[in-house]
Amino acid sequence: MPKLDFDVITLGHGSGGVLTNRLLDSGVFDLLKNDILDERHDGAFLELHGKTAFSTDSFLVSPIFFPGGNIGELAVNGTVNDLAMCGATPKYLSLSFIIEEGLPVKEFWDILVAIKFACEKAGVQIVTGDTKVVEKGKGDKIFVNTSGVGPIHPKANIRVKNISVGDKIIISGNVASHGMAIMSVREGLEFGSEIKSDTTNLNHTILRLIELFGESIHLLTDPTRGGVATVLKEIAQSSEIGIDLFQRDFPMDEQVASACELLGLDPLYVANEGLFIAFVSESVADAVLTALQEDENGQNARIIGSVVAEHPKQVIMESAIGGKRVISMLPGEQLPRIC
Amino acid sequence: MQKTFEITISGQVQGVGFRPFVYSLSKQFQLRGSVCNNQDGVLIHINASEEKATNFLVQLLENAPSISIIQSHKISEIPFQEFDGFKIIPSEAKHQTNIPLTPDFSICESCKAEIRDKSNRRYGYAFTTCTNCGPRFAATTKFPFERSNTTVSAFKMCATCQSEYINPDDRRFHSQTNGCPDCGIQLKLQDYDGRQFDGDHKELVKKTSDFIRKGSILALKNTNGYLLCCDANNKSAIERLREKKQRPAKPFALLYPSLERIKKDFNLSATEENALTSSVAPIVILNPKKSIPDLEQDGIAPGLNQFGVMLPSSALLTVLMDELGTPIIATSGNVHGSPIISKESEAIQKLSGVADYFLHHDLEVTFPQDDSVFRFTDEHQITLRRSRGLAPNFLNMTPSGNEKILAMGAHLKSTFTFVPNSHTYMSPYLGNLDSYDVSERFQNSIGQFEKLFQTQPEVILIDAHPQYQSSILGRELAEKWNAEYISIQHHKAHFASVLGEHDLFDSKEKILGLVWDGTGFGEDNMIWGGESFTYQNHEMERLIHFEYYDWLAADKMAKEPRLSFLSILPNAEKEIARKKFSETEWKVYLKMLENNPLKTSSVGRLFDAVASLLGIIDVTSYEGEAAMLLENQARMYVGNDEVDFLAGVVFENIPTKTIIQNIHQAMVDGFSIPRIANSFIHTLARVIFNIAKQHNFSCIACSGGVFQNAVLIEKLIKLAENSGIKLKFNRILSSNDENISFGQLSYYQHIKK
Ligand SMILES: [Fe+3]
Ligand SMILES: [Mg+2]
Ligand SMILES: [Zn+2]
Ligand SMILES: [Zn+2]
Repeated sequence: MPKLDFDVITLGHGSGGVLTNRLLDSGVFDLLKNDILDERHDGAFLELHGKTAFSTDSFLVSPIFFPGGNIGELAVNGTVNDLAMCGATPKYLSLSFIIEEGLPVKEFWDILVAIKFACEKAGVQIVTGDTKVVEKGKGDKIFVNTSGVGPIHPKANIRVKNISVGDKIIISGNVASHGMAIMSVREGLEFGSEIKSDTTNLNHTILRLIELFGESIHLLTDPTRGGVATVLKEIAQSSEIGIDLFQRDFPMDEQVASACELLGLDPLYVANEGLFIAFVSESVADAVLTALQEDENGQNARIIGSVVAEHPKQVIMESAIGGKRVISMLPGEQLPRIC
Repeated sequence: MQKTFEITISGQVQGVGFRPFVYSLSKQFQLRGSVCNNQDGVLIHINASEEKATNFLVQLLENAPSISIIQSHKISEIPFQEFDGFKIIPSEAKHQTNIPLTPDFSICESCKAEIRDKSNRRYGYAFTTCTNCGPRFAATTKFPFERSNTTVSAFKMCATCQSEYINPDDRRFHSQTNGCPDCGIQLKLQDYDGRQFDGDHKELVKKTSDFIRKGSILALKNTNGYLLCCDANNKSAIERLREKKQRPAKPFALLYPSLERIKKDFNLSATEENALTSSVAPIVILNPKKSIPDLEQDGIAPGLNQFGVMLPSSALLTVLMDELGTPIIATSGNVHGSPIISKESEAIQKLSGVADYFLHHDLEVTFPQDDSVFRFTDEHQITLRRSRGLAPNFLNMTPSGNEKILAMGAHLKSTFTFVPNSHTYMSPYLGNLDSYDVSERFQNSIGQFEKLFQTQPEVILIDAHPQYQSSILGRELAEKWNAEYISIQHHKAHFASVLGEHDLFDSKEKILGLVWDGTGFGEDNMIWGGESFTYQNHEMERLIHFEYYDWLAADKMAKEPRLSFLSILPNAEKEIARKKFSETEWKVYLKMLENNPLKTSSVGRLFDAVASLLGIIDVTSYEGEAAMLLENQARMYVGNDEVDFLAGVVFENIPTKTIIQNIHQAMVDGFSIPRIANSFIHTLARVIFNIAKQHNFSCIACSGGVFQNAVLIEKLIKLAENSGIKLKFNRILSSNDENISFGQLSYYQHIKK
């Protein structure tokens, strides 16, 4: 961390004037250094060829530091993963901060460092950015926005309309870890042992699958907010297909499972970060699974269900003890329904 | 002087032997004319003098078939027409229908006598019916009730049956479900592997009874759907059934061979006897005599001192129980929250892991129904489940206006109510909509009703809970049918259900509504469940509620009484509950309680909390278990020294925490569990009367699942004696969420918006 004569960020740091420059010059540029960023122009000059994916996401998370990561790497991984879900190789990101005055510089710095490492790991560059500071009470410590671009892999053909009856649905790993990690720190809940967020970049894993299986991968999606249930319900509704899931096949960390149980939460609605769901042709499903399980991000991968012709638009889960349940989207908190 | 008169009879008059009855009455009066079913009920034309016509009508109304229900009648003179004899005219095929659907009727005494008579051609025939009994709704495909509009039409009557059908002097004259061993419904006995056994009805039933006697589990297709049966005195069979059905403790119903046998084992009131032997043939919750030697009591109803008992509702069950002579367990054929199964293929697919043998038959069931369940306190009927024999009519209410309305009900105990014409049709209990199968049945039934009445709703009423499956579905249907949808608060719908059932909307005096249940989504986004309302002049307002306490852990709180206990305990006393939790649970729950935004006023959860405090149960395995066990304890109290745990306490909203504190004190003071349990219910009864007195009400209407508690009802009725206060409860409807769909309808039609 660079030496500075202030230890919290104030309104002046977002004015675009001297203070802004001192904050940024003191290390941001240094830390995230690359040729394009170094030009320090109003915008970045990029070379892109062919079909390109473009995605954006804003990150607000409380607390900003949590077991397994912080808001910085979340912001990089989030956009990197969204690009990867398009079948793209993430290349360049923009990075914008909205900082609430009073944020300790130390915390800002830690976030930046996390961003740097996340970028290196994912193989992306921050090429442009922005910083604003808002009055106390008008934000929640720090909001981060990232946008990103990357060329679509030539073998990729990912579209909701490619999904067809018989497709297998593969999940890349344990569900509900991120949401439960956030919740445990936010609410101060101590479970048996610490639950860590699963935040990570999935682009290498996914591009390897695309390289191997190409068009047989029909759809990729990351079940972040709203969890696996919400994402699958959205897909079923928009593509008018039916989805059958099997509860017993859901991989879950034992600690996370018991924390969900304890709180009466359905893990299918809990947010994930380093997780993806793939709809693949039945014929390659087992091979995809094997390939995935060899990857560090897919060791717990599992087939969790399939696409069916029955009950279009509906997601039905067969529970571990038999009986089928209708999966619907949750508009808000999980409210009790039992009378 | 001979004139021509036209008589119209409306109500439950089709499929109940009404036309044959009119025919034979006309013979007695030596009248010429005709009778037919039409869109309003039964239409009669006669040639008679005015005096004779009047006498005829009086006799007709007085002696109508016992299973018919006449709602209205009309007589008028029309231009003279000459009739030639007296004719039954077949129904016109196409007309707008405006009559009740006919429910199923349990087997009548005449039919029972026939199947027991060796010389009768229907001896042992398991589907013997007549104009007075048999399936109706269960086999209905279309209006009006004619053979061709039922699934019985798949069986062509033999010459003998046909001659009965056309013979005005036969008791099966125009019996739409007529059949016999030669031409009727066939039984099929198989083992779980599909191996089939041969024999006639008598032999197959005998084999079936042997299997039951030997400890096997039977899946048996009754005329309203499959039942799972086993010997009620075989511990291992019952345990096996519990394990396979994944139903560790919820009580099973008993099927008894005869009323005499029931009387031997249970104390039976006249009201209970009437119910058991009625055309509904429901399950009735009964008090056993001291002990029943040849009944595996602990396995049937663990921890409870009462049993659900019924008599054979069909010919099939009659021949089976005649053969067996001893009570058996008869529980709905389904697995874990699915609806009752009625298709052979589905039964094989879903119950092969449960049943050792299957007794199928080949009548298609279009509207499967569970058995209805009642309990009684003296004269007062508490409906626990409204289904076979009662659904699908609600005859007490004539809808106002001619809007076509569909009310979607709640979530856990789903029903829907449909108003396509000037009648109100209420589906049977359909189950928990979390289950995909229930949700499918729910949607299909709505579709079937839409087809039956050939009309679509213009208004769809849903619960205000955004996550009820019925609310989600209601919004989808509203979009599909281009209907308006309106959401109605859960407890207001409950209150409206009693007001509607007793036709109290035009009451001059104000009415106090007590709605106590487990949960419902409140207007302040909290979980309501201990509400009181005031009703006057078509307006309903929330008055007093139980003081809010924390709602923890979503649906889990409803399953674990210890969580309600922890939540209600005052902060300083939470330690008392500590031993009920693991170290991690304890830390986590206490932390969650620190700034938990979701609050509740649920009385259902208060029952849970008391049950946990008294050490009765901490984690339940079925809905309502804690309240049932608590009531069971309360019933065991024989003294008359109940304590009012709120005596001398001045309060605005009912102080939930004070109740728990005072009960804990009573425990410390060494009061017995039955006495405390009884006193707790006593306290609640007193609360109701105190509110009524404090706010000058002289009419109280109660609804919500808590009012299925017989001890509470008994106490309320006792307190009401000589108090000048009138009490109204749900009677025909269950007080639980089954009544929400009807309540939504009542609310929509009568409460000012
Ligand atoms: Fe309710
Ligand atoms: Mg995104
Ligand atoms: Zn009969
Ligand atoms: Zn016949």
